[in-house]
Amino acid sequence: MAQTQTWTNTGIAELILLLREEAATGMESIVALNMATPCTAAVASTFADPADTATHHTDSGLAIQAIDTVGGDTTNTAGDTITFDHVFTATASKNVAGIHVCNNDDDVAFVECCFNSVLAMENTDTLTIDGQSTIDQA
Amino acid sequence: MPTTRMKGRMITKVVGEHRIGICEKCGVKTVKEFYMDGERRRVRMVCPNCGELGKLIARTTAVQAPQPLRCFRFKCVAKFIKDSLFCALLSDYHKRRIAYAEKNRHKVIPEKYRTGEPSPKTIWQLLVATHKLIYTS
Repeated sequence: MAQTQTWTNTGIAELILLLREEAATGMESIVALNMATPCTAAVASTFADPADTATHHTDSGLAIQAIDTVGGDTTNTAGDTITFDHVFTATASKNVAGIHVCNNDDDVAFVECCFNSVLAMENTDTLTIDGQSTIDQA
Repeated sequence: MPTTRMKGRMITKVVGEHRIGICEKCGVKTVKEFYMDGERRRVRMVCPNCGELGKLIARTTAVQAPQPLRCFRFKCVAKFIKDSLFCALLSDYHKRRIAYAEKNRHKVIPEKYRTGEPSPKTIWQLLVATHKLIYTS
């Protein structure tokens, strides 16, 4: 299975709400996905219903938390990229199949990523996430 | 009303790096360190004594899907089929590589299986590399 990552439909809807200055919040939270086998990211996934049978981790250092750094960058045109960097530190043995990058209200997943293979985290292991999203007009 | 159609798309790239959270040299827990990478503020886990990163177990790799088919000439279709095959084989290689690296987290294995670099560049190289992985794991 390839590593898959995508913006979700609900994530795009939240982005449009932000542009319209309606009630919405920006990219602030991140959570690890729990599944024993690799999942496949899908645009139809939501915060409440992640890809395949994946669920959100709720403990052991992998639960939803504030993203360490969110910033802007340039790929093709000035400021066309958002970057997000985060480190999870596991406090028990857990499988991590992917991540959800969420809004500050913790009710919308902007980005869903399913890794190539399940990462078998053990106590004190770390998972560093280096992510970026670009709006490309090329 | 005239419309302007742009070829816009959202491109997302994510890399996950799984490391042991204890420094191999000093035996102490690594701590979060923020640093600047050009304009970008980033974060990593380093040993508070020696500044080393924890031992890498596996780094995930995002595989770029082939460009969509834009013409139906033989040359275009053949290139699309070749690119799709390469993409499928590369995805399979990285899936097997990470599973192998995770399974052998405490063993000494070639670093290319942990980092994913250098990655095979041709279909033939991919077939050989995947075959090797199947028979070593």
